[in-house]
Amino acid sequence: MVNAQFPITTTPRYNFPLQVGNLQLPLHLIELSIQTLHKTHHQLEPTIPQQLSTIDDAALNTQLVRLKPNKQHITIFAIDVSSIRLGETSQGTLLAIRGAIVWKSKNSYQYVRLGPFPFHIPNHMKNDLHRLLNGSTYNAKAPTNLAPSTLYLQTRLTGILERWMQRSINEVTQNSIILWDGNMVAGTPDTPIKTMSKMLADARQQQNIILAFSKVTRLMLYNRKLTDLLLRQSPPCILMTQNYPQYENSIRNMGRINVAKLSKSSCTFRLDIDANLPQTEVIQAVQTLIGNDSIQNSYPETLRLAHIYSTFTAAEVLGLQRYISQESSLKMISRPNIRRILFGRFGKGPEG
Amino acid sequence: MRLFRKEGATIQIISFPGEDVEKGDYLKITDSTGKNLIVQVIDIEYANIPGILEELLRNHNNSLVQGEDVDPFEVANHIAFIQDAHLLICKIRAIDVQGELVHASSWLPSRTKARVKRLTVDQLLASDKNSFMTHLGATTRRKDIHIDVRALDGALNIITGKKGTGKSHVSKLLVLSLVSNGAPVVVLDLNGEYTGLNRDASGKPNSYQDKILVLTPGKNFKLTLNQLNIRVMLSILVNTLHLPGTSAREFKRIWHYLNERNALTLTNLGEAIRDWKCNQHVRDALFSRYYTLLHSGLLTDQAACTSLESELAKIQHGGGVIINLRDTSLTNRYIVVEYVLAKLIELLTKRRLRSIFLFAEEAHLYLRETYWNDIVTRMRHFGAFTTFVTNQPDTIRESIYRQADSLFLFNFTSSHDLETISRASKIDSETIKSVARDLPPHHCLVLGNVVNDFPVVAKIRELDVLAMGETRLFFSESQGSS
Repeated sequence: MVNAQFPITTTPRYNFPLQVGNLQLPLHLIELSIQTLHKTHHQLEPTIPQQLSTIDDAALNTQLVRLKPNKQHITIFAIDVSSIRLGETSQGTLLAIRGAIVWKSKNSYQYVRLGPFPFHIPNHMKNDLHRLLNGSTYNAKAPTNLAPSTLYLQTRLTGILERWMQRSINEVTQNSIILWDGNMVAGTPDTPIKTMSKMLADARQQQNIILAFSKVTRLMLYNRKLTDLLLRQSPPCILMTQNYPQYENSIRNMGRINVAKLSKSSCTFRLDIDANLPQTEVIQAVQTLIGNDSIQNSYPETLRLAHIYSTFTAAEVLGLQRYISQESSLKMISRPNIRRILFGRFGKGPEG
Repeated sequence: MRLFRKEGATIQIISFPGEDVEKGDYLKITDSTGKNLIVQVIDIEYANIPGILEELLRNHNNSLVQGEDVDPFEVANHIAFIQDAHLLICKIRAIDVQGELVHASSWLPSRTKARVKRLTVDQLLASDKNSFMTHLGATTRRKDIHIDVRALDGALNIITGKKGTGKSHVSKLLVLSLVSNGAPVVVLDLNGEYTGLNRDASGKPNSYQDKILVLTPGKNFKLTLNQLNIRVMLSILVNTLHLPGTSAREFKRIWHYLNERNALTLTNLGEAIRDWKCNQHVRDALFSRYYTLLHSGLLTDQAACTSLESELAKIQHGGGVIINLRDTSLTNRYIVVEYVLAKLIELLTKRRLRSIFLFAEEAHLYLRETYWNDIVTRMRHFGAFTTFVTNQPDTIRESIYRQADSLFLFNFTSSHDLETISRASKIDSETIKSVARDLPPHHCLVLGNVVNDFPVVAKIRELDVLAMGETRLFFSESQGSS
């Protein structure tokens, strides 16, 4: 359907290692993008995820593990996806998403960028779009009583591409470390428990180890922010938690929650690793990561590059705006800033 | 192209890939009022696109990070289109109000509705096809440029640029254009570059054969004392040969003495100095100058020698007298120029010459200090219209630049030279500095009356005349290839 209307084809092979070159673009995402830009209707709607909160510290065991870099060669993959709001039309919002896969093999980094994929989210079609997202991604039905916010839909679209890339890399690689940006929380509309379980199981089967780095966390331990616990420790080290609650309402944490300080800096990160992996294997994986990748500010370079390559620059936003104005009938508009009108110089903060 | 910003007389325009604009081009900015703003592009910069630094840093492919984009929507082309946008720095040259050009106005076109189009040079320059139009060359877009040589009439012009850029070439073209249009021209030719104007490139006589007369001092250009009047002679003695005042007074008496007896010859002059009753120091001073003049080879007692006056008479209705100063000593150069200028003033004052176009190459090498102002003020009123040609712009005074009616500016890379010209010329300094620095050889920025005050970059056309004055090289091409 898509290819019949628009001259878009996916390139089957690229000049990259075989396994990454074999990636097929998520056609449903491309179709969705085109449909939104050209006003196609579908039906559905969302559920709102709930947040994890603080837990009972007394029930926890923590273990500080000093790490030794393991230089045994392994390929490190990192995946990150960015989204950006491009502007407004009279009917809704324009946004774009893009993903990047970066891998380090020996001394060089390589990347594949997917996108950008522009989307138009008309206000009157949010429910339809949400239904379409859920239906096309997880074959699930969503409740119809609440229209999702644009920001939420933006997050959903980003999540779809990110999970697809994570699954795809997992399928085509073996004996690798795969770095995710984020955590292993499941049970959200983005990531049903079943999906996350399968992804982690697939990784174990492929003998890949997934390490999920969170730059920001709201988790607390011993009345302190989780990531603050390692601030005074000498790197490289990892604080491993056990018995950290895996369930909160419908949310389930599928990973073991750790705090990592991998190099000298003031930065520490929440590091989620598959809870079903033995502790020795977890430690070994982190040691292999710091032995193979460049670590700056306690953060793996491969993942940093994935972020850099996926993120949008201002020039790209202008280019995307031009693409939309030329390739679709959508007209971008500038709405007056109500805050500015009402409060003048005191009208700070986001529009609305 | 989109109108972006105005700061003073500078207009900034955003141009996008595919909109072919070059430095020096003219643009017409039109809106619904019917007025047109005419601006000239003086510089082209990259548009300050936000995020461009991040983009460049990220996409810099090196040996450490390499990759490829899977871009199914081909958005990259649109992003590149934005990234490659240019910012055109333009100067306002005029406003076209219903066909009438106004050079000063505060009118600004609508930023949102204005349309920007390229304007060809021939749409700006005088388009009436009269016989005075001469083919100067072509624009950078290969459109012919014609100028009206009448714009040189009564005008002071300057041709300047660094060595080897084509100053003498455009000077020759102007000389021949004037000659073709019946004007008399005198060229003070420092390096003998103009002596081939009456022959074509192969050395055969051309259509200017009878119109271009070459006078080489000491050879076919010698003077008798009768041709020199006492004012010119004293000017040479005092200003060029630095004769003291007392001695000059004695010389004047000797001159009058011989003149009254109709015995004004070199031989008689020598004898008179020898026999004249005067202080020995004065005699010695007079003798030393006498022998300098005698050995200069410029003076003669033979009555049949060339008369500048008669040569000028030949070119009254179109022609050129080339004073070939090549191989002429510094002193002789001063003497010759002193004589020529004095003679021109005399003839112009007595209206025996209607007017004359004087071309002076590197005038600072033979022109006395006091003559500069004389040339641009007094002589101009008498009808001597000078064109200075130099590769050292700072040898021409700022006051002269200010009075120049037209300027032919070739490439300069020295910021000092550009500063000198930009400080003094009628046009804004940014135009001079920005455009002149990037001019290729044989291209010049023409400013002033000849281009209706619309600065134009022109590639000067070829001339079918014998090239003279080329630098004699030690290494020949055959030596290099063997």
